[in-house]
Amino acid sequence: MSKRVKLSTIVLTTIKYIYLYAMLAFASVPLIQVLLNSFRSDREVKVMPIGLPRKWVFNNFIETWTIGGYLQAYSNSFFIGAIVIIAVLTLIGLGAYALSKLRFRLNGFFTAYFFVAISLPGFLYIVPDYFMMNKLGLVNTHWSLILAYIAMQLPFNMLLLRTFLAGIPKELEEAAKIDGCSELQSFLRITLPVAKTMFLTIALLVFVFTWNEYLWANTFITKESLKTVATRFVKFTGEYGSNMARIYTASVLTITPIIVLYLFFSRKFIEGMTSGSVKG
Amino acid sequence: MQRKENVLWDRRKILQAKMIPYFFILPAFIVHVSIVTGPAISTLVMSLFDWNGMGGASFIGLDNFIEIFTKDDVVGRAVTNNLKWLMIFITVPIFLGFIIAILISNLKWGQMLFRSIFFLPYVISAAVAGKIWTAYMNPYYGLNIVFEKFGWLKLASTQWLGNPKISLYSVAFVDNWHWWGFVMVLFLGALQQVDQSLYEAAKIDGANRFQEVIHVAIPGIQQTIAFVLIMTIMWSFLTFDYVFIMTNGGPANATEIMSTWIYKNAFTKYRAGYANALCVIQSGICIVLYFLQKYISDKGGMNE
Repeated sequence: MSKRVKLSTIVLTTIKYIYLYAMLAFASVPLIQVLLNSFRSDREVKVMPIGLPRKWVFNNFIETWTIGGYLQAYSNSFFIGAIVIIAVLTLIGLGAYALSKLRFRLNGFFTAYFFVAISLPGFLYIVPDYFMMNKLGLVNTHWSLILAYIAMQLPFNMLLLRTFLAGIPKELEEAAKIDGCSELQSFLRITLPVAKTMFLTIALLVFVFTWNEYLWANTFITKESLKTVATRFVKFTGEYGSNMARIYTASVLTITPIIVLYLFFSRKFIEGMTSGSVKG
Repeated sequence: MQRKENVLWDRRKILQAKMIPYFFILPAFIVHVSIVTGPAISTLVMSLFDWNGMGGASFIGLDNFIEIFTKDDVVGRAVTNNLKWLMIFITVPIFLGFIIAILISNLKWGQMLFRSIFFLPYVISAAVAGKIWTAYMNPYYGLNIVFEKFGWLKLASTQWLGNPKISLYSVAFVDNWHWWGFVMVLFLGALQQVDQSLYEAAKIDGANRFQEVIHVAIPGIQQTIAFVLIMTIMWSFLTFDYVFIMTNGGPANATEIMSTWIYKNAFTKYRAGYANALCVIQSGICIVLYFLQKYISDKGGMNE
């Protein structure tokens, strides 16, 4: 009897680990192979799309970087990301402070507003936004995209920060106010330093969003020199689709900043991206 | 005189103090209303117009909606595809994610590493994930070469994205690859919140691991399960990126979904009014589901 139990446990454990490692391979091997393919020659990739480089080739990167206009695309994406992060953090910093710490008549209204706002799908406003931006002459400038991104990122992050700030004891700010700090000063000197890690998490989430976003970037910006990395990448794969090695290399170039951030902050990524799922 | 001035000054101070919260919240509110809510409302209004996006719009009442339900063949196919999408996403990633979450939830070593790697495809841009898999699915230079080497000739001659019968499933496969790890992490997070003493009680009652899952784990995370189910339904109607990047609705509208059809109407056919009517229907479905989800999680007392 006990021998049979043991045997079945061994079998089950084996199946468990086979399944776990199979899924691990499913998640990671396609990406590892992309990295490997970026070091192989186009001919080699075309003859056999999987496998190790027979001879390590490095000029894929140089060629793709220059032909794909990656320097420009990177600086566009970093510029857009930076402005959106600064604007979002400022707006939600002030807003979430008011919602979590200050008493005023319309507090409930504004909180409910942002809760409802999360549910509005982008397709409900992308069409009028495009034609509005077009009228304002902002289509094919970074500003149309920046404005849209800021607005889209507000509700979720506002509520995320509000929940976090509500957990900071009120006494801290009250003590500051007794010492003669104004509302703004107590926000800047007391609340902000305590909430630093939350600001970092939100900055990461916003950056990943702006870097990866495709639909709006593709709609608002059609001018090559202004495109973000994601849209420029898709254009590149269309134009140089015959060179498979370059497509793999361009993929690597496009995701590297996100992967690097993920390696350092994977816990923050996971917590930030899955928050709101249970707590709402 | 002095006193009167004081009273006035106090009043101003009180008024000022009352105004301060609004200075904090209004900037965010105004930005959001002018870029999201205002235009969203205009979508509702413009769905009743014949409008190309630029010039004059003429009021046509419910004609756009009538056209959607009676004349537009593609809409029917798009909704069917959204429903197929839903059938796939409400089963495959949830099963995959749930089983893995159960398996690694009581892993003592390496749980974080597993979690981070399973989550990795989720942080990558849909544009890149879509194009990587488009390359792998290339009929001449992709994985078909590998299948041929193994002698699987039927697989090797499959046009993964070019055959209208299977292209939708190929795209869904890729979106699954990106998506299931996210679902897994949600389940894992919920499983870790389940009261450990319930497991111990079950063990004392002689429950095996399978019974533990059925009687302790699943009831313990039912809210997360409800959340994932409803979000899956919502996202199945909103999905856009992978289809747009990998097939753009083709070949011959075979993978057309609501979102790509809206996009084409608005930005390639310049039928903004008609696109808005489609948006209203799509968003209506999703907003109802969102509040259903909120209602369920509020009922469970998880919300503040």
